[in-house]
Amino acid sequence: MRLPAFDYYSPTSIENAIQIKNEFGGSAVILAGGTDLIVNLKNRVIAPSVVISLKNLRELRKIDLAGDSLVIGAGASLSQVACNENVQRHFPILVDAIKHIGAPSIQRHRGSIGGNLCLNPRCLFYNQSFFWRKGKGSCLRTGGKTCLALEKAESCQAICSADTAPVIVALSGQLTIVGRAGSRSCSAQEFFTGKGETPFNLGPDEILTEIRIPIPWAPISSSYKRLSYRSAIDFPVINAACVATFEQEKIFRFRLVVSAAGPAPITLKDLESTFIGREPSQELFSEAEQAAVRAVEGIVVDNSIASKQYRVKMAGVMARRVTQSALTASRR
Amino acid sequence: MKKLLITMTVNDEQFDLMVRPNETLTETLRERLGLTGVKEGCAEGVCGACAVLMDQHPVRACLTLSMEADGTSITTIEGLASDGKLHHLQESFINHGAVQCGFCTPGMIMVSKALLDEKPSPTDDEIKEALSGNLCRCTGYKKILEAVRSTTQIDPKKGA
Repeated sequence: MRLPAFDYYSPTSIENAIQIKNEFGGSAVILAGGTDLIVNLKNRVIAPSVVISLKNLRELRKIDLAGDSLVIGAGASLSQVACNENVQRHFPILVDAIKHIGAPSIQRHRGSIGGNLCLNPRCLFYNQSFFWRKGKGSCLRTGGKTCLALEKAESCQAICSADTAPVIVALSGQLTIVGRAGSRSCSAQEFFTGKGETPFNLGPDEILTEIRIPIPWAPISSSYKRLSYRSAIDFPVINAACVATFEQEKIFRFRLVVSAAGPAPITLKDLESTFIGREPSQELFSEAEQAAVRAVEGIVVDNSIASKQYRVKMAGVMARRVTQSALTASRR
Repeated sequence: MKKLLITMTVNDEQFDLMVRPNETLTETLRERLGLTGVKEGCAEGVCGACAVLMDQHPVRACLTLSMEADGTSITTIEGLASDGKLHHLQESFINHGAVQCGFCTPGMIMVSKALLDEKPSPTDDEIKEALSGNLCRCTGYKKILEAVRSTTQIDPKKGA
C-alpha cells in the first residue's frame, strides 16, 4: 500500500518543531514511532499535507526523576519506558500495560509512550481501508454528516484504545504540552476530550512533550488488565486500571479507570470517596463491578468487534478483576 | 513533494539514496536496492513479514518511512549469509522444515536473530513472545519454534 503525498520535516529543536506545527496547523501531523500514524495514512483516514518527525529531538526521549515526579519524555520508546529502573520500581502497572501493546520485539522499539497516549481513537467504521469505507459512505470523522455507529450521535464515538491511557490517568499523570504561547500542564484525564473528532486537548500549534507521574508517598497497589481477542498485535475490547494506597489495612486512596469503552478513559469518581476507610471484601469488588457497568452503559456503542452488550458486561468484569487484584496484591 | 537525500548502511554497504518523503522502507529496500527478501504482507504492521533490523532492533519496514532510517544501519535477510554459507538460523529453519511457502520466513528469522543476539539462550516462552508479532499461515508455528530453539544450543562463536 502506497502512502499519500506529503512534505516531510525533521526539526532539530522543540521550538523549531512548534514553529512548523504552528505554520501548518491542523494540516500537519506529528510522527513519533509511526506504528499507528502510518497505518492511518495508508488507509487515508487522515490526509495531512505535512509530516513532522520527532526523530532528531533527543530531549524528548529522556526519563528522569525530577523532585517528587517521574518525568517521561513523550518520545521515549515503549521498551525504553518498560526497561527503565525507576518505572519498574515505582510503577510496575505501567510496565504491565506496555507489555500488552502490539508485539514485543517490533512495535516497542518504534512505538513511543506519547504516541500511545495520542493513539487515534478507533472505530469499526473508521479504521478500514479507503475501499471498504467507500461502500458505507463518510462518517462524522471522515467528512460525512452522520455517525455510522450511532445514528443520532452529535460527535464521533470512536474508542480510546491505548493501553497506557487508563494507567496514566489512574496514576494521576500530568502532561506537559508545549505550544507557541509556551508550555502548559494538563491532567491526563483532561487531556482526553471525549470527542472522537478532536480526541485530545491539543491546539493546532501544540505538541505533547512530557508525561509527569507523581511518585506516591506510600506504597501503592495497582493492577492493569485488558480483554482482547488476541494476546499480541491487537487492541483492547475493554481495559481497566486500578491504583490504591492503604493506611492500616484500610483503603486510603482509590482510583479505578475503565477504558476502551468510549472516546475517553472513564474514571469512576464516586468510588474514590465511598471506598475510603473500608477494607477489601467481595462486597467492595461487586460495588466496583456495578459502578463500572453503570458508568459505561450510556457510553458504549456498537462500533467494536465485540457487541455492545458484551462490552458493557465485560467493563464490569474487568473493573472487578483489577479492583480485586489491586486490593489483594502485595504492596510495593 | 521533492525527493530528499538519505544515507543508510544496508547489509554493511553504505548507500546514498534520493527517496520520496512518503516512501516506506519496504519500498526503498525492495524497489531501489532489489532486496526482495523484505516481504510486504499486510502492509499495516500486523503480519511481521517485512521485519528488518534497524540498528540491531527489529522494526516493521512497512511502517517505517525511509526518511526515519536516515543514518541508521539496516540488516535484511540477504545480509545474514556470509562467504556463501547460510547463517545457522537459516540452516536450522531448513533442517526443521520450518519453511513452507516461505513468505513469513525472512521476518521470522530476522526477529529470531534479534532475540538471540540479545539473549543467546532464551526460554520457549521468550521465543514465543518475541515471535508473537509474526504470522505464519502454513506451519502452525511448532516447527518454527523448534528451529529457533535448536539454534540456542549452538555456540554462535563455533558456528553451526
